[in-house]
Parts: sequence; C-alpha cells; structure tokens
Amino acid sequence: MSTITPPAASTALAPAPPARNRLTAPGWYRAALGVLISFAFAFGLTVGVRALYGYHPLISGEAITLVSMLAVPFGFLIGLGVFEYWFYWAVGKPSRAEDHASHGARSWRDYFKVNTDHKVIGIQYVVTSFFFFFVGGLIAMLMRAELAQPGQQFVDSQTYNGLFSVHASLLIFLFIIPVFAGLANFVLPLMIGAPDMAFPRLNALSYWLLPIAGTMMLSSFLVPGGAFQSGWTAYAPLSTTQPVGQMFFTIGVQFAGASSIATALNFLVTIITMRAPGMSFWRMPLLVWANFSTSLLVVIATPFIAASQFFVLLDRALGFHFFDTGLGNRSGDVLMYQHVFWFYSHPAVYIMMLPGFGIISEVISARSRKPIFGYRMMAFSLLAIVVLGFTVWAHHMFVSGMQGWIRVPMMITTAIIAVPTGIKIFSWLATLWRGVIHLETPMLFALGFLTMFVLGGISGVMLAMIPFTIHVSDTYFIVAHIHYVLFGGSLFTIFAGVYYWFPKMTGRMYDERLGKLHFWTTFVFFNLTFAPMHVIGIQGMPRRVSDYAQQFAGFNVLISIASFFLGLSALIFLYNIVASWRYGPRAPANPWRALTLEWQVSSPPPIFNFDRVPTVVGGPYEYGVPGAVHGTFSSPDPQKTTASG
Amino acid sequence: MEAASVGAHPAGHDDHQHGPPEAHRSSRVEPQFLGMLLFIISEIMVFGAFFTAYFFIRVVQSHPWPGPGAELPKLVAGFNTAILLSSSLTIHWALTGIKNGNRWALKAGMTTTFLLGLTFLFVQINEYVHLGSAPHDSAQMSVFYGLTGLHGAHVFIGLTLLGMVTVRSFRGHFSPEEHRGVEVPGIYWHFVDVMWVVVYTTIYLL
Amino acid sequence: MGIILVASILGIALALIIDWFPTQASAEAHKIDTLYDVLMICSVPFFVLVVTVVGFAVVKWRVRPGQELEDGPPIHGNTRLEVIWTSIPALILVSLCSYAYAVLHDVEKARANPAERMTVQVYGQQFAWHYVYPKAVKGKDLTTNSLYLPAGKQIQFDVHAKDVLHDFFVPAFRLKIDAVPGITTHFRATPTKLGAYPVVCAELCGLGHGLMRSTVHVVSQRDFDAWLARQKPSAGISSPPDPTP
Ligand code: HEA
Ligand code: HEA
Ligand code: CUA
Ligand SMILES: [Cu+2]
Repeated sequence: MSTITPPAASTALAPAPPARNRLTAPGWYRAALGVLISFAFAFGLTVGVRALYGYHPLISGEAITLVSMLAVPFGFLIGLGVFEYWFYWAVGKPSRAEDHASHGARSWRDYFKVNTDHKVIGIQYVVTSFFFFFVGGLIAMLMRAELAQPGQQFVDSQTYNGLFSVHASLLIFLFIIPVFAGLANFVLPLMIGAPDMAFPRLNALSYWLLPIAGTMMLSSFLVPGGAFQSGWTAYAPLSTTQPVGQMFFTIGVQFAGASSIATALNFLVTIITMRAPGMSFWRMPLLVWANFSTSLLVVIATPFIAASQFFVLLDRALGFHFFDTGLGNRSGDVLMYQHVFWFYSHPAVYIMMLPGFGIISEVISARSRKPIFGYRMMAFSLLAIVVLGFTVWAHHMFVSGMQGWIRVPMMITTAIIAVPTGIKIFSWLATLWRGVIHLETPMLFALGFLTMFVLGGISGVMLAMIPFTIHVSDTYFIVAHIHYVLFGGSLFTIFAGVYYWFPKMTGRMYDERLGKLHFWTTFVFFNLTFAPMHVIGIQGMPRRVSDYAQQFAGFNVLISIASFFLGLSALIFLYNIVASWRYGPRAPANPWRALTLEWQVSSPPPIFNFDRVPTVVGGPYEYGVPGAVHGTFSSPDPQKTTASG
Repeated sequence: MEAASVGAHPAGHDDHQHGPPEAHRSSRVEPQFLGMLLFIISEIMVFGAFFTAYFFIRVVQSHPWPGPGAELPKLVAGFNTAILLSSSLTIHWALTGIKNGNRWALKAGMTTTFLLGLTFLFVQINEYVHLGSAPHDSAQMSVFYGLTGLHGAHVFIGLTLLGMVTVRSFRGHFSPEEHRGVEVPGIYWHFVDVMWVVVYTTIYLL
Repeated sequence: MGIILVASILGIALALIIDWFPTQASAEAHKIDTLYDVLMICSVPFFVLVVTVVGFAVVKWRVRPGQELEDGPPIHGNTRLEVIWTSIPALILVSLCSYAYAVLHDVEKARANPAERMTVQVYGQQFAWHYVYPKAVKGKDLTTNSLYLPAGKQIQFDVHAKDVLHDFFVPAFRLKIDAVPGITTHFRATPTKLGAYPVVCAELCGLGHGLMRSTVHVVSQRDFDAWLARQKPSAGISSPPDPTP
C-alpha cells in the first residue's frame, strides 16, 4: 500500500468543518442524509423491480422494508464516515496522512463519532452493549411479570414470544459477545504492548455495525405482526413462515455477525503481529490467550450462522425451498437448519465464556497475589476447548429426530469438554490456595463466578447424558442451565472485568461499598431466580410458554419476585458506574498492583498508549517472585529485544 | 486496510504528541496478509455452510440431482471455468510485472483480469436467464442458485477490489517495493477462482 | 477434607431425598430417574469441593491488617496435582457416558414379542395433537383427539408434523421427541401406571405453543378394548394425510 506522503503542513490536526459543510463532512448530519438517500434508493429499486416483473401491488411494504434493511445501514455508515479512508484509497487519491485527529476522546461528544482509537472504541463497545443489557433485562422483567401466574396477565402469547426472542437475541448478540470484544479492545493492545489494534479503521467499522444490529432487533416490535417470535434459535420452518418481524432478526444477526468476525480477525492479527519485544506466546497474559482462542472460534464458526440466516431469508423472501417439505423428491431438509445453526451456536457459547475465563485469570491472580497455577495448562485447555467445541454441536439436537447414532459420539465429546474446563476451575482454586486474598468487588465476582459456573457446567454435563436430556430438553431445566452459565458464568466475569478495569478506563475509582452491595444482592437473587427453574424443568414445565399448568404456579411466582429484586440489583450497578464515572475519586495508575502492562501506564492511558513500546522480560503473573518484572519501559538491552514467538 | 501506525510519521519522533510509537513487529507475516488469510478462512466456512445444505439435500435425503426436469449446462460452465482460471494467471502476470518494475504488465494484467472476471459474471447471469429453472422449483435448484449465487457475489466483491487496483495502477500507484495493494486483493481473487472449481465440480460435474 | 466429605454426603442425601420427577408412569421412567440419581452422586462432590475450597481460602487467607503489600508464595504449578485433576474427572465422565449409553440402549429397544407391542401415529399440528390407531377398529384406522393407552404394552409412537416443528412430550413417561415436517420420528414407551398424565408440546411452534397441551390416559387392557369398541373408525376428524409420500 503506497503512502504518498504529503507536505508536512497537512499533518496538523484537521480543522473542524465549517457549518455549511455539515451535510458533506462525515458526521451525524450526513449520516441522516445517507439514511434518507439509501431509503429512497431502496424504495425506488423495489418499486422499479416490481414494475419490471409486473408484480402487484407495486408498493409492497414488506419488500421495501427488506431492501431498506440491507441498504439503509450502508447509507448510515457511509454518512457517518466509516468508509471515508477506504473510498479515498479505492479511487487512488493520495492517501491522507494519518493526522491522529481521530485518536483519543476529548469530550463525551467524541464517543459519538467515528474514532479509530482502540480505547475509545472499547468504551463505545462496553457502553453500547450495557445499554442493550438493560433493555434485554427490562424485557426479562416483562416476561417474568407475565409468568408470575398461569393464564394471561399482561401480554398475549404473540407478544410474549416476541419478548423472549428479543431478550435472548439482544443479550447474546448485543451484550455478551460484544461486551467481551469491548473490554478486550480496551485492554488487549495495552497488555501486549501495542499502540493500537492492527486495523483501526476496521475496528471502528466493527463497532458501528453493532448499534445497527441492535436498533434493527428492537425496532421489530414496531412492525405489523410484532417482533420476531421464533426464539433466538429461529428454527425453520417456523421462522420461514413468520410475519415480517422475523426478518429483523435474520438481517440484524448478519450485522452483528459481521461485526464479530471483523473484530476477531483484528484481534488475531494484532496478537500475532504486534506483540512488544520479548512478549512471546508463553508470556502473554491469559486474557490475551483467551481472546486468541475466542477469535479463532469466531472466525471459523460465525459464518455458519450467517449462512443459516441467509437460508431463512431466501426461503421466506424469495421462495427458495431449503426447508420446504412436502414436495416429494424436491423437498428441502428441516434438520439441516439445526445442524448449520448449532455448528455456530454451540461454539458461540464458548465465544461467550472463554474471554470471561481470561478475565477471571487476571483478577484471581492479581488479587490473591500469586502466579496463575499451571499457566501453560490454562492456555492449552483454552485451545482444547476450541477444538472440542467444534465437535459437540448436535448435543442440542438429542430430541430433534436426527439419525440416532450421531447422539452417542456427541454425548462423549460433550462430556469430555468438562475436562479442560475442570482443569481451569481447579487451577484457579489452586491459585487461591495460600494466597493473600483481597476481597474487592472484582474478586467477589470472580469467586461468585467460580461457584456458579461450576453449577451451570454440571447441569451441562447432565444434559450431555442422552436419556436424561430426552426428559428435560426444552424445559425450564435448560433455561436454568442457560442462566447459570450465561449469567452466573459470563455476566459475573463481565462484572468482575468492568469493576477491575473501571479505574483504568475512566481514571476514577468506583464505590467499593456499592460494589459489594451489588455483588451480594446479585448473588442471592440470582440463585433465588434461577435455581428453582431446575425443579420445575424436571417436573416437566416446557420453556417458551406464556401460560402453564397450575402445578407450576407456586415456583413461578417465587421466581418472578426474586427476578424483580435481581433487576433492582442491576440498578445499583448502574448507579455506581454512572456516579463514579462523574464524581468518583481519581484512580491511581495501578490500584491492584498488577504486573500486566496495562497497569504500568497512567489511568486513563495516554492517547497513544506508550511513548515507546515496552520490553517484556518475564511472565505476566510473577507475584511473590522477588524482583520480578513483566515489562519495562527503560532503554531496552539490545540483546533482549529480538522478538520471540 | 492499513496497519496501525505502520505509515511514516513525517513529524518525527521527538514530538510525542504527534503519533504513537512504532509498533513492534512480532511476526514475519504481514498484517494485511494475515488478515486476508483469516478472512478467506471465514469465507471458506460460509461456503462450507452452503455445501452442508447441498450435502443434506443431495446425500442425506438422496434426492435426484439436479432435480426433476432441470439440466445444467456443463459445457458452457466449463468454458466459464476456463475463463475464470485464466484470470488467475493474468493477475499473477500483473503482480510479477510490478515486482519487476514493469508498469505496462501491471496495467495490462489488471485490465485483462478485470475483463475476464466481468465476462465470467455475465456468462453466469446469462446462464441463469436461460436455464429454464428457478430457485423455487425445488430444493435442488435452491441449492444450485444459492451456491452459484454466493459465488457470484464473491466474484462481484473480487471485481470491486480489482477495479480499485486497476484504477490505482493507472494512476501510477504501486512500485517494485510497494505492491501489497496488488498482492492482497490478488490472493482473494485466487481464492474466488479455486472456490469456483470446487463449486463447478460438485454442482455441475458430480 | 472432612468438611468436604460431610457436605458432599449431605448434598447427595438432599439430592436423593427431594422428589424431583413427576410420576413414573412408564417402565422406562425409573431407569432415567436412577441415572439422574447417579449423576447427582457423581457431581455434587465437585460442586461441594469448589464451594468449600473457595470458602476456606477466603476465610483462611483473606488479607490481614499489615499484609496489604505482601504477596503469596510463588507456586507455579504441580504436575502431579494437574494429572490428578485431569484424569479423575475424565474417568468419571467416561464411566458416566458408558452408563448413560447402556440406559439409552435399554429404554429404546423394541420388545421382541409383537403381541406386546402397539403402534400409535401422532400428528402435531398448530396447535393440537391427533392420534391415529392403525387398523384398530374393524381393520380401519381410528383417528382421535384423545390418547388412550393400554398399560403393559410397549407403544411405538410414530410422530409426524403437519406444519412446523412440534415436540411430543409426556413428562410422566420421560419421553420426548420432535415432530419434524418431512420425516417420521419414533419413540417407544411402555405405560405401566394407570392414570391421566399431561401431554405437552415442547418445541416452539407459534402463538398457541403454550396451549398445545392434552392428556394421555393410561387404562387397563380391558378398558382400552372397551374404549376402542366405542369408537367409530375415522370419527370426528378426517384422517390426516401422511406428509411423507
Ligand atoms: C456461556 C454459555 C454456555 C456454556 C459455557 C455452556 C457449557 C456447557 N453446556 Fe450448555 N448451553 C448454553 C450455554 C452454555 N453452555 C445455552 C445458551 C444453551 C441453550 C440453547 C437453547 O436451546 O436456547 C445450552 C444448552 C446445552 C445443551 C442442550 C440441551 C438441550 O437443549 O437439550 C447441552 C447438552 O449437552 C449443554 C451442555 C453443556 C456442557 C456439557 C457444557 C460444558 O462446557 C460445561 C463444562 C464445565 C463444567 C462441567 C464445570 C467445571 C468442571 C469441573 C469442576 C470438573 C468436574 C466435573 C464433572 C465430572 C461433572 N448445554
Ligand atoms: C446473557 C444472557 C442472558 C441474561 C443476562 C439473562 C437474564 C435474565 N433472563 Fe434470560 N434468557 C437468555 C439469556 C439471558 N437471560 C437466553 C439465551 C434465553 C433463551 C431464549 C429462547 O428460548 O430463545 C433466555 C430465556 C429466559 C427465560 C425463559 C423464557 C421462556 O422460555 O419462556 C426467562 C424466564 O424467566 C428468562 C429470565 C431472565 C431474567 C429474569 C434475567 C435477569 O437476570 C435480568 C436482570 C437484569 C435486569 C432486570 C436489567 C436491569 C434493570 C432494569 C433495566 C430496571 C428495571 C427493573 C425492574 C422493573 C425491577 N430468560
Ligand atoms: Cu406445538 Cu409447540
Ligand atoms: Cu452446546
């Protein structure tokens, strides 16, 4: 890529665009214009094509909606300026020298602009995904209100089906997956001593795809027929025969998926090519290892969900027959959908867990002041989970009517996955052993994670046992498993990570007392909400129902009440974060006395992370080793700078 | 795609405000290269998912292929295959050209590649028009249109990239030292070609 | 160690005492319930172990005043421990899988004697179940909305879907199988205990999914024959066409 260097004068910060340029300069005005133009384009195209083919009516709301859903996001992104540089590059204009105008954030407004600084993008990611967490949680509250009693209370079954589908889709695709990407975006380059991600502009694009996906999923409530109602799994042929709301999932997922693939690619390239001198693979913090493994999963698996939703889109919108049966030897195959979907979505559950494992390793080691026990086995077990994760997808299909024999190998691989996971759990326990344990909020959440995730994992292993799953599949036992691993597992690690890096990201300390209160209320009400679900599941209460048999009424009202308190506990967190971000006391550079590199720079880190790239001279967790250093900023010894790895 | 801060900083190093430190290169692999490689892996998986559909309908269900009353023009598609494959050669020619400082070879190579790709796409569209079958005829035809359409979309993306490279090469970009902008889209184009051979073999020939 | 042992035993005892499952109304049910008990016995100790170690560590090694700046001992690993905690779970899991496989084989196998077997066709449709008893009344198919089964016979359910996915779930039989458009799925169960039990649809199938519930009546062979005798062939609703041609 040739960089034709312009005269030095142009490297000065670009002046703010004058007002008359507002519609042509990148920004929200132009984005609005882009949305309008692309909508007009979609409208024109649809009407034109329909006229050409003589379809009636000429103006079909559904067709226009579909085409706009594909076109408008691009109009928005172009308007916002996400593609600006690439357009210049494409037409061969001399590339403008990087003036770093888009680095760092000087005021809160900068967070609403396209920014290529990994730290800004990290915060954009985390804040956006927490927004969707609260929306998804609020939806859960509505669901629990409806489920408090048998019969219909607040919403009809159509709305209810929409509620849990949007609940799960938002929390999975717009909360858990991106929030991990966001945290890693902020800390990972710092941890490996890189000035930024490998492809900063791609990074910005990844972020801006998210609000699009989220808006799409949420706005599905507004269309005729209601939000998509076939669950986050969108099984065909139900999904191919749904009202237009379904398309908001089908297409929304494409944007979320593209975002996640782009970030994963970015992480992999960054980790492989941009480590500081001396940072060999075996000196990387486990968070980096975890994101490395996760990114591998994303790059390989995510295309499958994209394809599965393409099939649904083609079937529903263009009359393809991937999932149509009853056509004799021209029929499609219904089970094919499930195979393709789970080939992504099982790895996806590890995409939602491995980065959390990374966070826990950082927190536990730094807060019990001991090296991670069995560092190499920790890294290897991550890789083992990646490999095994691809071999177990059909454990979601034990009762799907697929060929019976497939169930047996899948049962075995599924059970075996507990071994590398167990290694991690036991190694964390051994890390705690004889440590000097500091029980701040991040550590509390880490310990909460250890206990709750084991419970969820054990119910997972029970689910691997076919005869038992035949009984509990598609019941509330599954709902209990989901929330023990996703809430007690992923979400606890996210809370741990957010509290742990809050001082680094914002430069301020959160309120420790509120943090502890948040932990204890969450821990207690989480269990009160989700533990009873195991029981009603085994008793035979199916999931995804707005109405249920009288026999389950007692437990359900208990669950609903507990869940409202769980919701309130999330508000403590919200208050703590918002208030501390604004008024909290200034945070020191390294409040946890951690060794990893992100703590060796100021809080928040300088705009360009480092004045010079640090040199890594030892492992990341050498707590208790006298005189141990992980990285230094002093003049490197030329002998040691030769890179390894 | 340009790697962070790999670009030159004319402002110099004494003024820290002006730019990030040069990133350390911890691998001999170029970031752009690796990025393209990983992207291709995920592209292969997209095709893999479509081939899964093919597998389920043709093998698991053992439906007749290519479906009742449908016939695929093997020969025309074979010619098309040859066209696409030769475009892989011409882009290679363009790349070796610029590596040796031969600008003419670069321009001619890129233009031919672009035109060959375009021809392929047109022949494919022409085939759709004259096939006499439609995706809603049968699941087999859905798979046929799905896979060839997916590939066609990739040819289109590839052509867009090639178009950019061609424009840039006419504008005097690239040099024997700086030809990554030809090489990386070139890898993608080779991938599109190889993928076609797989699609052609499984859909038309087998 | 002592705590873990005692807590594990208490935990297991609790798990075994709680009456988790609905009525055992089929010959297969108790095998699955036993599998569950075994799973609990094997996994409760792991949960107890983790919780106890976490609790113990927090109590014993929590930072004391004056220790704020101290570090723990730099222990990097211990190969023997790592081998132990890799191999023990692996062994347990492999044995659990073998046991589960045996149970699976046991609950799914067909009875040898055809006189002890009976087939019922199950049709799922938005949002109701229909049942067809092949050649049940005077050599003609019987189609009904209500499911009556004779106790003691092994019933083979052939499950079909007429529109989207459904799932034929009888909690009291521990039986569940998807109804899949385009294919016929199967399940066998041997009802043993007389009574009426819920049938539910366990696969999301649209608006009425939650209401797609009905009842299975397990009756004695005599009552069953009497019930059959009262039915007219293909009464009420017309026999649904088999979607698989
Ligand atoms: C973060 C997400 C996450 C994680 C990490 C897991 C982890 C696991 N899951 Fe889970 N799963 C989901 C999210 C997740 N799952 C979701 C969302 C669904 C429902 C999808 C839907 O239908 O909507 C689901 C559904 C699901 C099913 C399908 C049920 C059904 O629909 O019929 C199964 C079946 O095998 C399963 C198994 C497992 C197993 C074996 C693990 C293992 O990885 C767990 C391993 C961990 C441990 C076991 C604990 C630590 C280990 C030890 C302490 C060692 C010793 C332990 C023993 C010997 C027991 N899961
Ligand atoms: C990370 C993922 C995640 C998270 C965090 C949650 C969080 C919660 N979930 Fe969710 N859930 C899923 C993932 C998740 N869930 C998935 C994948 C499914 C399967 C869907 C499917 O079948 O397709 C599911 C399904 C599911 C069901 C089953 C629906 C059904 O099958 O019919 C239920 C029912 O109770 C439920 C409840 C809850 C509750 C009460 C919370 C709570 O923890 C939420 C707590 C948070 C808040 C409440 C937000 C903060 C508070 C406010 C915004 C203020 C308002 C407060 C009050 C009014 C008190 N979830
Ligand atoms: Cu039928 Cu759910
Ligand atoms: Cu899974």
